[in-house]
Amino acid sequence: MADLKIKALHKHYGPVHAVRGIDLEIPAGEFTVLVGQSGCGKSTLLRTIAGLEDADAGDIEIAGERVNDVAPKDRDIAMVFQNYALYPYMTVFDNIAFGLRARRTPKSEIEPKVRRAARMLAIDHLLQRFPRQLSGGQLQRVAIGRAIVRNARLYLFDEPLSNLDAQLRDEMRGEIKRLHQELGKTMIYVTHDQVEAMTMADRIVLLREGRIEQAGSPLDLYERPATGYVAGFLGSPAMNFLPATVDEQSSGPAVRLTPTLSLPLPAARRGALEARRGGALTLGLRPEHILRAAGDDAREGLVRYSALIDLVQPTGSRTYATFRLGERDVVAELQSHDVSRPGEKLDLALDMNRAVLIDPETNRVI
Amino acid sequence: MASRGGTARFADRNFPLLLVAPAILILLLVGVFPLAYLVVASFQGITMTDNDKSFQGLVNYIQLFHDPRLWTSLLHTVLFTAIALPLELLLGLALAQLFLDKMPGRSVFVGLLVLPVVVSPIVAGATWSLLLDNRFGPVNQILGWVFGREMPLLWTINPELVYPAIILAEVWQWTPFMFILLLAALASVDRSQMEAAAIDGAGYWRTFFRIVLPAIWPVMAVAVLIRGLDLFRIFDVVWALTQGGPGMRTETISIFTYIKGFQQFEISYTAAVAFLVILLLSGLVMAALRRVELSR
Repeated sequence: MADLKIKALHKHYGPVHAVRGIDLEIPAGEFTVLVGQSGCGKSTLLRTIAGLEDADAGDIEIAGERVNDVAPKDRDIAMVFQNYALYPYMTVFDNIAFGLRARRTPKSEIEPKVRRAARMLAIDHLLQRFPRQLSGGQLQRVAIGRAIVRNARLYLFDEPLSNLDAQLRDEMRGEIKRLHQELGKTMIYVTHDQVEAMTMADRIVLLREGRIEQAGSPLDLYERPATGYVAGFLGSPAMNFLPATVDEQSSGPAVRLTPTLSLPLPAARRGALEARRGGALTLGLRPEHILRAAGDDAREGLVRYSALIDLVQPTGSRTYATFRLGERDVVAELQSHDVSRPGEKLDLALDMNRAVLIDPETNRVI
Repeated sequence: MASRGGTARFADRNFPLLLVAPAILILLLVGVFPLAYLVVASFQGITMTDNDKSFQGLVNYIQLFHDPRLWTSLLHTVLFTAIALPLELLLGLALAQLFLDKMPGRSVFVGLLVLPVVVSPIVAGATWSLLLDNRFGPVNQILGWVFGREMPLLWTINPELVYPAIILAEVWQWTPFMFILLLAALASVDRSQMEAAAIDGAGYWRTFFRIVLPAIWPVMAVAVLIRGLDLFRIFDVVWALTQGGPGMRTETISIFTYIKGFQQFEISYTAAVAFLVILLLSGLVMAALRRVELSR
């Protein structure tokens, strides 16, 4: 059963067409992440679902009921805002209880509910404090507490972690995901951070210029991107893109980067290029699909390349090495000790089994 | 050598004080000197005919308590303030709410609404006195059209109409002051807090009292304080419309002071009255400021 159904939704801000025809169904209990660059319409979409913005065209259904003309408070939703939007003149307790009181929950039920929510978020010792006395992470917990204390059908998160520092963000990310597992509620989470999207989502909806570029499970989008945009958006460091042409070799079509450099494709990947001989192509290669060549490695689809390492960026667990491939700089994600300093010559293997082949005209994956 | 070093250090340390000293001296001269002079005069016996500068003790202050005209005028003042101040506040707040949302021609409307504040109060009073004229004033004329018969209302003479007339003029002139301050305050209320409240299920009044009002409270308190002080010293409008009449029915403390001091020239007694007003208002302001401070 779909908890939320959106049909052909449009939203304009003056001359800006922010949401351009979105169709989306979100099943009950799913954690959906709306992700995209700033200005892609993800926050607008969320705010329209919440009822803070009016849709210009299209339908929004929550639990089978059309809610376009229903006030936010009657949509059975709870929302966490980017800047927390806590009520500054109330204690943490009153902040969390505000929604319950506004809905005339009996007094005897309010206290245990607030305490339970506070305990889940480990802020039960802060209930008598005011927001100005709290740290960023604590404020965020209170904001989440204010949402989960109410038994809403739909929980909306508008970039809730973007004001936190990196360490806290990692921590809260896990906590929100755990919260979702415990509560089993339908949650929609907006972020521009692809790491948040990948790690938290049951399903990612990737937006671009007001439209859905691709929707699916995180690994689906990561491994089988529909377009070059999706392929480039997900993954860190980002996928390497190389302009190429489809080249004819004795074994079948191959990917030619320069007149002197051609990369053969494994048999399974050749078919798609049969019709494109001589045509232009963009080769997408993820950093982790460039490996250090082992001596006896002759697996099909691995193409050997002797690289002159230009830049070395160790992260501890992995090391990013930049080198020249064809006419572009390419980043490879290697084992920590595979490479030690720039200027080193290294035998690498490009895993063409995992390469993404993109039509540069349409930017669609072939 | 040592003493020279000492002088230099003294000058260094007190350089900021030396810089502000002239300004402070001038402030003392124009602010504190008249006040001190006032207090001194209030213990003397100066009138138009008698320049008696000998010490009279508390005679003038004792007279204060036996002067019913003073207390009546004080009562009138409190009455004006108690009626006009809430009216200005509520009307200003309502207008500010109305003009908070963007709408076509908003800036023109706001500009027009603020015009009365720009007009000098004595001019506003004179204008209202023309508007309310019983024979030629447009107010009576319009009322005549509405009720279908002549309405020769004596706005500035009829004891039942003078208060409404004065308060009308006063509210007309100063509501925009409240409006403009409250508009600025309302515009600065965090939108997302109101959105959060809307999703939390709070209605208009709950949102207003729990979120908007606490946020605009400091500005509102200052606006009320400023207007309250102004109203307590109300003079121009009343003077232009009724000169405190009919009889002494609309005489405020400022008008009483003016008449005592500059028509009857009871200089020392007037000084005592003025000092009483200063004490009253200072007490009021200090109490109000403390409340505003506490509420933060």
